[in-house]
This record gives sequence, structure tokens and C-alpha cells, in this order.
Amino acid sequence: MADAVVLPQVQPVRPVAQFFRLIPGVLLLAAVGYAGKLLEQNVGKYAKNHHWTFPNIEYVLWAILIGLAISNTVGIPQIFRAGVATYEFWLKAGIVLLGSRFLLGDVLKLGVPSLALVLIEILFAIAFMTLLGRVFNLKPKLTTLLAVGSAVCGVSAIIATKGAIDADDEDSSFAIAAILALGALSLFTFPLIGHALHLTDHAYGVWSGLAVDNTAEAAAAGALYSDAAGKLAVLTKTTRNALIGFVVLAYAIYWASKGQAQAVGNKASFLWQKFPKFVLGFLLISLLATLAVFNKEQIGALANLSRWAFLLTFAGVGLRTNFRELARQGLRPFAVGAIGEVLIAVFTLGLVYGAQRVFHW
Amino acid sequence: MSKGNEEVLSVPRKRSLSLDSWAVLLAFALAALVRAGVFKHIPW
Repeated sequence: MADAVVLPQVQPVRPVAQFFRLIPGVLLLAAVGYAGKLLEQNVGKYAKNHHWTFPNIEYVLWAILIGLAISNTVGIPQIFRAGVATYEFWLKAGIVLLGSRFLLGDVLKLGVPSLALVLIEILFAIAFMTLLGRVFNLKPKLTTLLAVGSAVCGVSAIIATKGAIDADDEDSSFAIAAILALGALSLFTFPLIGHALHLTDHAYGVWSGLAVDNTAEAAAAGALYSDAAGKLAVLTKTTRNALIGFVVLAYAIYWASKGQAQAVGNKASFLWQKFPKFVLGFLLISLLATLAVFNKEQIGALANLSRWAFLLTFAGVGLRTNFRELARQGLRPFAVGAIGEVLIAVFTLGLVYGAQRVFHW
Repeated sequence: MSKGNEEVLSVPRKRSLSLDSWAVLLAFALAALVRAGVFKHIPW
């Protein structure tokens, strides 16, 4: 084998061309999401007219199921891929707009107990995943990535940590695959468990925000239960996201002290760089709503814009989940992730039950 | 990767906004349009 490294030639892409490249995929997200909405409205009506017993399936689940069906049968043609990958962008815009439905006082009232629960969850998840990684003899940096992914915020946290601790591409793709596969499973299991345990919207929303790792899946798992649960799942998950910088910084310092990652220079600038800016956007819109900058109709319009943004996100969750590709990433990281996630879900459920008694949710 | 390689491979970084920041800008632009009355009613 030749020892020269051949670097791929980077073709400069013009911003305008890049924008047009996104359009087919964004249209696909919109089509899948809107089909989900139409199915929600019409399937129930059709079943009722024909005297069939059919469960009321929300547009969220329809959009995810249609996306999953496309992704796992015909696949996503290349032309749509760039646009489909924008689902996280719509998620973040949707979260900022959702801020208009919370008065700042409510954010503090709901956010402070959530913050306490989030801190406990993060400490437990990191400790437990680290232990599991050692028991299963996973590579230490892969264990770090799985710990951060399950403790804080899924894929974004893994990507942020990968750069900070100089982890391999292979490790990060293992960790991302495990988190995504488990996130897909949580969409179907969490609402069933919530209904079986008769959880209130508040308790269920906080639980999904604490236990589901990826923000898109946490929002979807909450919305599958109810609109109110969806709002609380997003708020709790946003609180978790806000702590990403601190966790990544701690791991960066740890790996640098072992001489296996670059030293962190300016810590404040590192924290700012890793801090999810949409959390600030959410708080700012919430502040504007509190100051009555928007009237009632305008808040209704912003809430609906947020719903449309989430609709594109839910379609994207289904479209980007390909079970064959996830299975190809290997069983051990998935097993560690699965055992860890089940225990984190049980632990956070216990936390939520405890908090329910203290705060009378 | 050695330091020497890093120097050879490093490309001057363009300062650009993150995905998060673009999402925040879009949300605020939409909020401003709603506030200004350009979008009066958004159906759902």
C-alpha cells in the first residue's frame, strides 16, 4: 500500500447553490409531515364512518412511521439527503418559537425543579455508563461518548465531545448509532409505559425530557403523549442541553490531563462555543412574551409556526432512521447503550415520581 | 496526526454562524414578521 495520504479534493460550494441543494429534501420533509397530518385527520374519520375500532394516531406518529417506511424500503435518494438533514435546524427554530408559549415566570417555576432533576440525571448517567463501559471492556473514549450522549443531549453532545477529546470517527459513529437506535425505540415504548402507569402530562413530559437522549426524539416522545407533555419534554430537554458545555469541558480537561487530547485554553470561550444558542433564543422569546410584546393572536401564530417547524422535525426523525445502517455498527456499543438507557429510564422515572410528590404535579 | 502535518493540512477557517445561530435568527425573523402584522394568522 502506498504510504502517501491522498486528501479528497474539496469543491467549494457557493452559498446559493448550497441553498438550492436543500430544497428537494425540505420539500420531502414537508410532504411527509403534511401526509402525517392528513392521515391523523382522515383515518380516524374513515374508521368511525365504517364503525371500525381504530386507535387515534397522532400526526407525530404518522409522520415518523411514513418516514421510517420510506427510509427502510426505497431509501432516501441522494438528491433529498442534504435537505432531510435540516430537520435539526427546524427543531431548534421550533424550540425558540415555542418560547412564546411560556411566560418567563413559568420557565423558572418549571425549569428550577427540572434543573435539579437534570443535574441528578447527568451525574447518574455518566457514572453508570462509565461503569458499564468498563464491564463490557469498551474503548475508554467510546465509553466517554456514550456517557455524554446518554447524559446530556444525544448526537449533538457526542459531536461536541468528539472534537474536544480527539475521539476516533469510528467511536463517534458507534456512539451515535447506539443513541439513535435507542431514541427510535423510545418513541414507541415511552408513550406505552406512560399510559400504562397513568402518568400525568406534567410527569410524563419531564420524564421524556430527562430520559430520551436526542432532542428531536424527546420532543416527539412528549408530543406523542399530549401537547402539554410535549411542551414540558422540550423544556426539560432544553435544560439538559444548556449543560452540554460544562460536561464537555469537564471531559476535555480530563482527557487533556491524560495527554490524550489538546489542552483547553480559554474556558469561558470554550463554554460559549459549546453552549446551544437556541436555549438563549428560547429564553429571549419567552421574555418578550412576558413583556407583552406579542398579543394573544400573535402568540397563537408563533405557536403554530413552532408546530410546523416540529412537523418537519418529526418527518426527519423517521426519514433519517435506517435500521440496517444502525445494525451494521456492531452489537457491543448498542448493548451498553441499551442497558444504560433502560436503567436511566427507570432511575429518572423514580426521580419523577419523587418530584411529583414534592411539587404536586 | 503530527504537528507538522497539522500545519500542512490546516486551512484558514472562515468565521460563519452555527446551525443554532441560524435557527435562532430565522425564529426571530418570523417573530418580527408576526409582530409587524405581515403574518396575521398561521393556520394549523
